[in-house]
Amino acid sequence: QMLLLPFMLLLLASPMTWGRYDDFDDGEDLAEFDDNDFAEFEDLSEDAGMEPEATASPRVAAAPASDQDDDDDEAVVEIEDAQDDFEDTETPDEDIKYDTEEFEGFEKSSPSFKDPINIITVPSHLQNSWESYYMEILMVTGLLAYIMNYIIGKNKNHRLAQAWFSSHRELLESNFALVGDDGTSKEAVSTGKLNQENEHIYNLWCSGRVCCEGMLIQLKFLKRQDLLNVLARMMRPVCDQVQIKVTLNDEDMDTFVFAVGSRKAMARLQKEMQDLSEFCSDKPKSGAKYSLPEFMAILSEMGEVTDGMMDSKMVHYLINHADKIESIHFSDQFSGPKLMQEEGQPLKLPETKKTLLFTFNVPGMGNTSPKDMDALLPLMNMVIYSIDKVKKFRLNREVSGVSSTHAIVLIGCRVFGASLYVSLGASQKADKNRARVEENFLKQTHAQRQEEAAQRREQKKLEKKQMKMKQIKVKAM
Amino acid sequence: MFSNSMADPRRQNKILRYKPPSTDTNPTLEDPTPDYMNLLGMIFSMCGLMLKLKWCAWIAVYCSFISFANSRSSEDTKQMMSSFMLSISAVVMSYLQNPQPMSPPW
Repeated sequence: QMLLLPFMLLLLASPMTWGRYDDFDDGEDLAEFDDNDFAEFEDLSEDAGMEPEATASPRVAAAPASDQDDDDDEAVVEIEDAQDDFEDTETPDEDIKYDTEEFEGFEKSSPSFKDPINIITVPSHLQNSWESYYMEILMVTGLLAYIMNYIIGKNKNHRLAQAWFSSHRELLESNFALVGDDGTSKEAVSTGKLNQENEHIYNLWCSGRVCCEGMLIQLKFLKRQDLLNVLARMMRPVCDQVQIKVTLNDEDMDTFVFAVGSRKAMARLQKEMQDLSEFCSDKPKSGAKYSLPEFMAILSEMGEVTDGMMDSKMVHYLINHADKIESIHFSDQFSGPKLMQEEGQPLKLPETKKTLLFTFNVPGMGNTSPKDMDALLPLMNMVIYSIDKVKKFRLNREVSGVSSTHAIVLIGCRVFGASLYVSLGASQKADKNRARVEENFLKQTHAQRQEEAAQRREQKKLEKKQMKMKQIKVKAM
Repeated sequence: MFSNSMADPRRQNKILRYKPPSTDTNPTLEDPTPDYMNLLGMIFSMCGLMLKLKWCAWIAVYCSFISFANSRSSEDTKQMMSSFMLSISAVVMSYLQNPQPMSPPW
């Protein structure tokens, strides 16, 4: 009976072992099937299978010795299981076999598990995320910023213009019968508003007053609606400007050319303007005699003109608002800036018009607010005052001290043994100047005009010939 | 007493109508920016379309915007719209042909 117990135990245990072996048998069977399927690859697979085994074996802590006595498949199975315990990245035996079969060449060339894994970054154009489009997002953001700036700048300029007009409206309406005209309406009725030429230029035409034909006011604001311009202005600050051009009738003004303003502006105008370069040939003079600030200069045809223009009220205006005055230009020979002609000189003198020009800088140097527009009101008063003054101002017609007829006689006879200094009246001087300019111009264009005259004569001859030919034909018929 | 001392300077009979200054006499006063930007925009958009350069097309869009912002009110809106449409079409075509993002030049 004592022997029965162990025998019974053995009997009980054997099914389990058999079970195990059954498992193994199953595994064997499967392996055998696998072997049958992949019989031709068996040797290779086993050789390949040996590799992971060999590499895996140092990792495997303990491999049951009894299992190693079993079939290779079984042993592989065990090791695989062990590997499963130690590593997560294992596939069952069959898969490894497939993998090794599929990736035969790959395995040999691929780095062993000891080498570090290189993660290759996928090129951005193969990615499919929003982040890779950052340049486009930047571009669109830039465009949106531009549009925002356009709207803001446009509105600011509009508000500034309206502020200017509302502060000056009363003064203008009390001085001019027509305030605001765009030239399109049938009847000359005041529109009472500014013409918008641009997003940064507004103009206003006023007419219907004594002493002048009309006055064109141009509000030349900075290009706040253009972002590029805004950025450029950060480097180089510029002012908003108000330009006023008063055109006069012939009887409204005597013959003289005069300018006053900042030194830089005077130098520039003297180079650019046709009339200033011809009639005011001297360099801009300092206005210290009239206690003008140092940065202001005067360009004048004659001393009498300067004295006549710089009366106390004018000087008062100039001193008090010197920072806002860019330039003031009175001229009876105004024809605009010098024209650059490509072929020789222009054939006839440019047309001139009696004009008063004022250029004012708006205070604030670009950062203007609508309130600053009120500061320009006294300057408009100055403009009105200038119009009336120019009408009243007349150059001295008399030779100083001696009338013109007597002067000629006295020069002839040196009665007093001393040379007699005769100064011509200012008016005569002015006329002389104008005659001189015209003469110079005619001399320069002489050759050209001769050519033109010759051409015209030839053409006339041709025409006469043609007429004769026609008459002969008619007679023949 | 002073109310009538300053006679009313207004004269209804001296009214002159406004004449817009002709640009023939003063070609220098006109701002050439909108015309240049228009031309530049067209050139860039053609480059972008022909050479399939995305950045050209984007610059063309910017040029047409700048040209619009600087334009005079008397100018034709048709011209403006045509250059704008051309630049937008250049951008769209570049992306349809090559949907990958634009690579920066650096």
